[in-house]
Amino acid sequence: MAQGSREDVYDLLAARGVSRRDFLRFCGTLTAMLGLSEAYAPQVAHALEVALPQPRKPVIWLGLGLCTGCTESMAQIGYPDVPTVVLDLLSINYWETVTMASGESAEKAKQDTIDAGGYIAVVEGTVMEGADGNTLRIAGKTGLEHLREVASKADAIVAVGSCAVDGGWVRGRPNPAGGTGVKDVAGKLGFAGKPLINIPTCPVNPEWIVAVVVDALLLGKLPELDEIGRPKLFFGSSIHDNCPRRGHFENGEFVTEFGTPEEAKGYCLYKVGCKGPQTYTSCPITRWNRKQSWCVESGSPCIGCGNLNWTDNDAPFLNRVRDIPLGSLGNVKPESVAYAVGGVAAVGLVAHGFGMKAAGRVGDGPPMEDMKAYDRKRMKKGGGK
Amino acid sequence: MARTVIDPVTRIEGHLRVEIEVENGVVTDAWASGGLYRGMETVLLDRAPEDAYYIAQRICGVCPISHGHASTMSAESALGIKIPNNARIIRNIIEGAEALHSHVLWFYTLTALDYVDVSSALKADIGKTYELAKAAGTRPADFKAIQERLAKFVEGGKLSIFSQAWFGHPTYKLPPELNLIAVAHYLEALTIQGDAAEIIAIMGGKFPHFMTSIPGGTAWVPTEDKISRIVYRLAKVKAFIDEAMIPDTLAIAAFYKDALGYGKGVGNFLSWGVYEDASFDPKKRFMPRGAIFAKNGLTVSDPKQENLAEYVDHSWYDQAEDGLNPAQGKTHMAFSEYSTDKQYSWVKAPRLDGEPMEAGPLSRMLVAYLSGNEAVKTIVDGALAALGTPGKPAPATALVSLLGRVAARNLEAKVIADQMVVWMTELIEALKGGDSKFFEPARAADGSGAGLWEAPRGALGHWMTVKGGKISAYQAITPSTWDMSPRDKAGKRGPLEEALVGAPIMDAEKPMEALRIVHSFDP
Repeated sequence: MAQGSREDVYDLLAARGVSRRDFLRFCGTLTAMLGLSEAYAPQVAHALEVALPQPRKPVIWLGLGLCTGCTESMAQIGYPDVPTVVLDLLSINYWETVTMASGESAEKAKQDTIDAGGYIAVVEGTVMEGADGNTLRIAGKTGLEHLREVASKADAIVAVGSCAVDGGWVRGRPNPAGGTGVKDVAGKLGFAGKPLINIPTCPVNPEWIVAVVVDALLLGKLPELDEIGRPKLFFGSSIHDNCPRRGHFENGEFVTEFGTPEEAKGYCLYKVGCKGPQTYTSCPITRWNRKQSWCVESGSPCIGCGNLNWTDNDAPFLNRVRDIPLGSLGNVKPESVAYAVGGVAAVGLVAHGFGMKAAGRVGDGPPMEDMKAYDRKRMKKGGGK
Repeated sequence: MARTVIDPVTRIEGHLRVEIEVENGVVTDAWASGGLYRGMETVLLDRAPEDAYYIAQRICGVCPISHGHASTMSAESALGIKIPNNARIIRNIIEGAEALHSHVLWFYTLTALDYVDVSSALKADIGKTYELAKAAGTRPADFKAIQERLAKFVEGGKLSIFSQAWFGHPTYKLPPELNLIAVAHYLEALTIQGDAAEIIAIMGGKFPHFMTSIPGGTAWVPTEDKISRIVYRLAKVKAFIDEAMIPDTLAIAAFYKDALGYGKGVGNFLSWGVYEDASFDPKKRFMPRGAIFAKNGLTVSDPKQENLAEYVDHSWYDQAEDGLNPAQGKTHMAFSEYSTDKQYSWVKAPRLDGEPMEAGPLSRMLVAYLSGNEAVKTIVDGALAALGTPGKPAPATALVSLLGRVAARNLEAKVIADQMVVWMTELIEALKGGDSKFFEPARAADGSGAGLWEAPRGALGHWMTVKGGKISAYQAITPSTWDMSPRDKAGKRGPLEEALVGAPIMDAEKPMEALRIVHSFDP
């Protein structure tokens, strides 16, 4: 069937226990996720109606140096629910954590999918290069070999979670196991020309994956990406800019110790180290676990897990000023680096609590902040710890 | 001799290879190989002690709460912090929510497919399925719609996560109707595990990986709104465990009683204890601390962390760093080649008093049962009666088996679900009484300490030394380090390896029984 009729779709949905009302609600959620106006909801619904009865797109979900947190996170999706994604939207033919087959049977399912081509490769976990790739061994081969094979015939590659994007915590200094990201081995493993979508944070937010998949599969286009391959839609504005606690920041109302009445009032966590100002993700809007909460709402400062090399660039997590590791020189206070790289202006920024800004010039730190004059004034009042 | 290899072992957390020798349909030897080294303990060095909490929990995406708690406890122990009572109760509730999430996910999503033939559910008679559900006392569902959905899915030809599954394997024993009930609950469990995870999200920002159990207490301050959202979700999860998971376990177990006869393992059990008591005494934790050694029968002794040693004779680490106590432990990789005669795993071989110890719900339930935990005693005695013959319950030693290990995890889910209600009441009463303390700042800048705790899958320890305000030493022994351990210096097998030996294998090409044993440890 080239194109399903409306009735086919609703029969299919009814068989899954999904009512028309649920379906339209799902379309409304997706429309918002895709950054479209509500007026587009009927068009999204139509695109889904056409696409749903088509043969399901094959997916290989390749787990590398992982904690399985991104798979776990995928299981925490709201709409569409997990069975719909796994059984109806996609055909996930290989997914170590979930797949029924084991051993050679599982590897055969993967190989059959590779041979047939035309699939999406989802990569979870760090690319392990240590011990010639032997820090990750699956089915008698290194993880690098698996990545090379799976990437070779994929239509597109989606790196989910900070570990797959750039190595995540595993590549934190001194990177003992040789961790790196999918984008960093694309040339070496021969898939540099393939579309690569990076969806960081630790773990990944499943709503972003589904939105990207819907974008790509059902609406027939890849999402617009930023300079490091992240969908601009979800990684285009800072947490600070969308934070519900922003008003308290403007008013100079801060939490200075955990578990205090200031926290109960929802004051700003800037002084206890929140990395919201230099972290560009849509967490405050997308939220987590079927939109139940997100880090700052629970009373914790953001630790910047969506930033490149986050465990080095964003630590210490509970402080504004950080030490910068410089190899054999040991740890250096950001003030001294600021002097070295930026002179007086950089020192000024550090003094105002933006140690990260100077730090961003060391290694592949987070992007420089575009600080607003008004914020800078408030920084003086709020101060760094 | 012919060897059978399962690599990768799927439906687990991480990467595992299992190799078995099979002779005349019985496993005669076994090797478990962990396939991944990430270097967490080294990455944590030279960082602020409170930062370890955020990073160390990322050892495991299924049990980050437990790793977070063990890490934060090791920092508190090193820095001399005693957390406020409110923080203690809040951590118990988050920990319990993770256990409920994990056990539900494990039973239905990860291991059920070893016992439930999904393809057979297509043959189920719908009327008989309802009758069977009623007789088994398990939750009904729209069985007809689910069977139709399954049929359409299979007709579609693309089998997704069921590609290359061992449908129709001769070791499957359930009637089609029970298979259909299990498939219905497999789907429902995917929602329920998420409800349990929502409790963590409300208290910790998100799951997996949570934000609030920082050294010193908790960053989460409860409000009436948040408490009511937790209670609602807890009621939903608890109802599913009572009305589906427990009756399903008993109904399925009745067809697999042969699994009482193998998969025993080393017979040594370790629990560090979990769910802190107001006294902060690990022996009084809700699931208490204790060790059981096979040579002493079913009696509980107190495990001493000084008597731990980690061996690397068969692991890809610097061979000079062999037999160290984790407080002085070192981890430097030294890969050579995969050889079951020499080194064959990234997992070390931890030993307590020289013995390999099984970690997990079976260890905790046995220790709690023998220590006189009333809730555990009641439910275990009930299960033993069901597993025996009328008027003659199975002995407690029957639990030391494949089926016992599976049952212990599901029974523990019920015990914790019940206790969660007690903890919520405890928290509400404390708040009503005016207790508004949630956090205690650090005093000392240096020190050494340990966080000895339990993940849903077993005994967990984190060791931290702080010098000059920075972490100078860090080691962890996870449940899977215990259970998936390779051989030690003396050549003693690890718990999984030992549990595989003696198991019957009907089809060496598709060793389902071995897979069941591996999954029973929830690695």
